Amino acid sequence: MSIPADLKYTKDHEWVRIEGDEATFGITDHAQEALGDIVFVELPEVGREVAAGEAYAVVESVKAVSDVYAPVSGVITEVNGDLEGQPDLVNTNPYGSGWIVKIKTDGAGSEELMSEALYTTFLEE
Amino acid sequence: MSASKYSAVSGIQHEEPLVFEHAHEAPESISLPGVVGDVYAGLNTFARKKDAGIPGLSEPETVRHFVRLSQWNHSIETGFYPLGSCTMKYNPRVNEQVARLPGLAFIHPEQPEDSVQGVLALLYELQGWLGEISGLPHVTLQPAAGAHGELAGLMMIRACLDARGDQHRKKVLVPDSAHGTNPASAALCGMHTVELKSGADGRIDLEELKKHLDVDTAALMMTNPNTAGAFESDIKEICQLVHDAGALVYGDGANLNALVGVARPGDMGIDCLHINVHKTFSTPHGGGGPGAGPVAVNETLAPYLPVPRIVKNAETYSLETESDTSVGAMLGVIGQTGVLMRANAYISAFGKNHLHNIAQDAVLNANYMLARLKDAYHVPFKGLCKHECLLTDEYQNKHGVKTLDIAKQLIDLGFHPMTVYFPLIVHGAMLIEPTETESRETLDAFCDALLEIAAQCEAGDTEVLHNAPVRSIRRRLDETKAARNPVLVWP
Amino acid sequence: MRYLPHTDTDRQAMLKTIGINKMTDLFADIPAAFHLPLGSLNIPEALSEVGISRKFNQAASKNEHVLNNACFLGGGTYNHFVPAVVDYIISRGEFLTAYTPYQPEIAQGTLQALFEFQTMVARLTGMDVSNASMYEAATATAEAALMARRVTRRKNVVIAGSVNPRYRAVTDNYLSRLDGSYQQVSMGKFGTDLDKVIAALDGETACVIVQYPDFYGSVYDLAPLRAACDAHGCLMVVAFSDISAFGLITPPGEYGADIVVGSGQALGIPMAYGGPHLGIFTCKQKYLRQMPGRVCGLTEDADGKRGFVLTLSTREQHIRRDKATSNICTNQGLMCTAAATYMTLMGDAGLETIARRSSAGLQALVSQLPSHVKAADGVHYNETVLSFASQQARDAVLAAARERNIFAGIPLERMEKGVEPLHLLVATTEMIEMDDINSLLAVMEVAA
Repeated sequence: MSIPADLKYTKDHEWVRIEGDEATFGITDHAQEALGDIVFVELPEVGREVAAGEAYAVVESVKAVSDVYAPVSGVITEVNGDLEGQPDLVNTNPYGSGWIVKIKTDGAGSEELMSEALYTTFLEE
Repeated sequence: MSASKYSAVSGIQHEEPLVFEHAHEAPESISLPGVVGDVYAGLNTFARKKDAGIPGLSEPETVRHFVRLSQWNHSIETGFYPLGSCTMKYNPRVNEQVARLPGLAFIHPEQPEDSVQGVLALLYELQGWLGEISGLPHVTLQPAAGAHGELAGLMMIRACLDARGDQHRKKVLVPDSAHGTNPASAALCGMHTVELKSGADGRIDLEELKKHLDVDTAALMMTNPNTAGAFESDIKEICQLVHDAGALVYGDGANLNALVGVARPGDMGIDCLHINVHKTFSTPHGGGGPGAGPVAVNETLAPYLPVPRIVKNAETYSLETESDTSVGAMLGVIGQTGVLMRANAYISAFGKNHLHNIAQDAVLNANYMLARLKDAYHVPFKGLCKHECLLTDEYQNKHGVKTLDIAKQLIDLGFHPMTVYFPLIVHGAMLIEPTETESRETLDAFCDALLEIAAQCEAGDTEVLHNAPVRSIRRRLDETKAARNPVLVWP
Repeated sequence: MRYLPHTDTDRQAMLKTIGINKMTDLFADIPAAFHLPLGSLNIPEALSEVGISRKFNQAASKNEHVLNNACFLGGGTYNHFVPAVVDYIISRGEFLTAYTPYQPEIAQGTLQALFEFQTMVARLTGMDVSNASMYEAATATAEAALMARRVTRRKNVVIAGSVNPRYRAVTDNYLSRLDGSYQQVSMGKFGTDLDKVIAALDGETACVIVQYPDFYGSVYDLAPLRAACDAHGCLMVVAFSDISAFGLITPPGEYGADIVVGSGQALGIPMAYGGPHLGIFTCKQKYLRQMPGRVCGLTEDADGKRGFVLTLSTREQHIRRDKATSNICTNQGLMCTAAATYMTLMGDAGLETIARRSSAGLQALVSQLPSHVKAADGVHYNETVLSFASQQARDAVLAAARERNIFAGIPLERMEKGVEPLHLLVATTEMIEMDDINSLLAVMEVAA
């Protein structure tokens, strides 16, 4: 189970990479494994405002479906169009080419996030 | 594996291409009746620019094509179908015969009422019987399926609450063991659902129910017996609590087979119940439908029944199409009449003197299987079951074998698997419903198969289970591929 | 009881295995107050097979049916030819008594038939994809409106007054408990006035629903509607009530419709006093994931052989629950098999012949009407409205026709509330012969 040290995590198994006022979202290795083979990712529209904790995307496997919640607030600036043809990128490379959206963030919600160490403990519990 | 013990053997099976792949030109069209002449003036200007691309086959080829396809199916006529919550029972042939009588199959729904008195009489009779069996005397036959009945029932509940000035009541309580149609139907009716966590015995937890019942609650939707096959013994208290809170009780009748002729939901306090006639009253499933989902209600909800309604005045029957209080029409026609005819015939065959034998033998069969299987398979909720029994793969999991593997191995032994991974309240669910029309010989063979699989797990002989099925016309199908790149039509 | 295999000896042995003494103990968990005295229900005693047969034959003999009567009734249900082969195929136990194909390894027959059905329906309507059927046309129309709301994230629905009143009523019923408006645009004639429909559209409209051929049987150019939908960003939904039309006329898909729904009852399915019929639901590929109902898709098995499965089930209620695209679970599976068999028997050529003869019957009738009977204006397929000078004149024709074993038409007010009782909705199919038309014309001459 991979949990990179340079990312922050939520209890709903999303990760976020915050660089200045830019943030990238995705789902964790644990989440993709629990869902199984991802067959579809429903992406939001660029320009949509999302609040921390709000569902902004949907990931689907054959027999399960899961809302994906925003770790921090902001406005969506880019979506990962590659997922339309290759949803399995979320399975094979959840922290890299399987990213879901990029947003311009105001940072709201970041105080709730977990570090790698805290997320590791959270998963063990 | 002792192949001789089970019915499945290899025989002549044919591969069959798609109709689109039959590589010859369409033959001369079959002879057709009708007026040969000019089409309506001006219609030719709207004529298709190109053919649709429907390949025609001659009659003998058409028959062979579809007969070969039919031979790739498991069916109730060829084998056991122990699908929990689906009630796959024998479909009597006389029911097929009578439903096809020209005087029933070849009548137009807008014929004058004096020309359809026979069919109206049969429908009216069925309405009365369903009211009698459910203990809820007012019945609509219109809903086309169980989920459609749920929607009709919730619409009536909505209308009743609105008439009471309770427009704000929009919360529907649904146990976590419920069928997925329950929350979906509530959403379609403009209401939202709150899930009730089941108690340790798989039943509704009264404390949990009390906690969620409030002034915003519109209804409780419950299935009794529930989807774990257990009777909700607190039914009287449950209905009382819901009614005291100013809400109504919706009964999902999917499991009515456990109660027919033995006990009545209406007597227990249920206000409204849909009846899946394709389950309880043996209308054929047809590979997914058609079904029918009549709804029976008590006096409280009767004013809101959909239209048209079949009414009897002296000796004549007619359709009542207007009512100020009705929720309106659920369907463009009166109902799935052909399906309802078969239900009438099934009830006719049992009559008052034998209807209870349906529930008795169904419950007997389920408990017999439970008794035979309870040591080899984990039983999450102890005690008597009703018409279906719930097991899990907990013991087999230790050997790396999952419910899915067990299900697929059953196929190689000649059985349709039980319902798997439902209800959601237990891990690795296997829900077995034998129905009243299966013989002890069949039940024993199925139990033997499951016991043999359990023994294989204990012996560590699990390779064969992971590979199953190997005897079916196709092996495990790649559902991920189908969903990732959906191909729903032949290019 | 002949459907129950157990003897009492079996039952006793099984009770012993369970560890209880008698059958009624099986219900010990039901409170005693709710136990019915066995045999107490107010239902007649059991009938033998012969008894059932007699009872149904007697009831059926009280109905008049279209094998003995010429049927000019339509309004959403049509007396088309039902080939013997179609009924034979769907009578086979392997199709008739199979469950929903959730275990695809042992349900490839149903699944391949569904795939063929979906393909042929998509081709006939000119659409990208079809689902594996809805209950019938009215609920399919309502589901189309709901789907358009999801796709556009808008709430208002506009529907032409020339859509079958039953479809409009059910759609109204489905939408009435949700927010958003439902506007029925009155046509003021027995046909479709697209200008009026288009004038009702705005930037809040989720979809517009028209029928083609419309409720009155009239056929018109859908192209202006496509342009208007593009201008307002709403979906174009086209309903139909007799799919046989598309054997001849340009289907809605060719006009760029987004969703096309209607009745497939014409495809070899008996009228059966209302059903079971067949609801058709097709749409553009890009809206696939918002489509309601079951769908069958192509895949392969562990050995790489082609096979079929039910797919995209995450849209459906058993997984998505309250967020599902619809609450629908059951489809009309057997009717899909019937329709696939029927279309295979007919092919393009047969379907065109049926459409031409259905329309030729109407042309023969309308072109010879006596002067006191007026047919609706416009171009029609196989259905139109005939208007009489008085209700008395119309009802006299209906009554005289009945005496000659003709169902002459549906009094329009029976389906369309509020219209004057002067009109008959009249339909023809390939089952109407020239003799039937001549008889009806003769009745009209004399009766009025």
